[in-house]
Amino acid sequence: MSQDIATIRVTRYRPEKDSKPYFQEYKVPYRHDMVVLDALNYIKAEMDGSLTYRWSCRMGVCGSCGANIDGEPKLTCASFLHDFKGRTITVEPMSNFPVIKDLVVDMEDFMEKLVKIKPWIIREKETPPEQGEYKQSAQELERYSQFSSCINCMLCYAACPIYGLNEKFLGPAATALAYRYIEDSRDQGKDVRFPIVHEMEGVWECTLVGECSVVCPKGVDPMLAIQKTKILGATNALRSLLMPRGGHK
Amino acid sequence: MGDANRYPELRKRLTPGWWTANRHYAMYMVREWTSLFVALYSLIFIYGLSLWAAGSRADFLNFLKNPAIVGFSLVALVFTMYHAATWFYLLGAISPVKIGRSKTKPWQALVLNLVLLVIISYVAIWLLVLR
Repeated sequence: MSQDIATIRVTRYRPEKDSKPYFQEYKVPYRHDMVVLDALNYIKAEMDGSLTYRWSCRMGVCGSCGANIDGEPKLTCASFLHDFKGRTITVEPMSNFPVIKDLVVDMEDFMEKLVKIKPWIIREKETPPEQGEYKQSAQELERYSQFSSCINCMLCYAACPIYGLNEKFLGPAATALAYRYIEDSRDQGKDVRFPIVHEMEGVWECTLVGECSVVCPKGVDPMLAIQKTKILGATNALRSLLMPRGGHK
Repeated sequence: MGDANRYPELRKRLTPGWWTANRHYAMYMVREWTSLFVALYSLIFIYGLSLWAAGSRADFLNFLKNPAIVGFSLVALVFTMYHAATWFYLLGAISPVKIGRSKTKPWQALVLNLVLLVIISYVAIWLLVLR
């Protein structure tokens, strides 16, 4: 199989040594089926063992290998080198997150948000397993299924200028997941999740830039989830206002 | 954050020109800027109405017939239509209506809302000016 040479510029930043980040350029031989992650692995194995980045599954499932490739948030495992033929490929850490080293960003903020929205089925009263599973129809599943495809890669946060301006913003993926549980017919935790998604830095910060849905590698539409959560919140508030007793559902 | 706190934080922040990075960001910014023209037109119109309230309907119409106001109104109309179209499209994307087994498409909401906009605008113009 024929080989081409890809020129890759990678952000290098070792906080214990470097006062600011810089680009390092590598020439990597590649075949048609190689992706940017393969090139990073080649650099680490053959050229420079100090290059640091996250990766795991190599097939767009684990969500660990996100980076800004030519300025756009992408999974390095899903970006083919041949798509950049004849150009220098610039690989930077994802925007809007603090950088720990080279391409590795601090995920702490996102992890806290993920837990905050309580991503599990909440029941007012659990029924014992012997009484059987909580049943759900295909139509009920359809209401939220796309939002359960999120792999927590955080590309949507890297693409979101609102999160870039205000890191307190709950953000796309966490809201999409909150909506996934709010819309789940088996869930009874609306009263717990509503105050979280509707607080000042919740869904109302979103001004519909929409780039989160553009960059999502799994076809999730977080912008849609955020707007739907806004509609649910607004109708809920109106219902509580018009029917103070029992209107809140 | 643990150990990361020991080092100066490196985080790629938004620059004033962030919205020029790609077409989607730029279109978002155009949509946001068009609302400025909507706001300016509203102020002009409110001023016109105040002339009507203080004086006569003729003062109001003469003010609106000023070539500068007509020129600005045309520019504002284009931007307002763009602003409205983007929101009508989003409305269709966010809240599709279920008809039988299929759901309406965003462009259908766009067309329906634009038709309603034209009808409502005509009624408003008829009540205010043509009557």
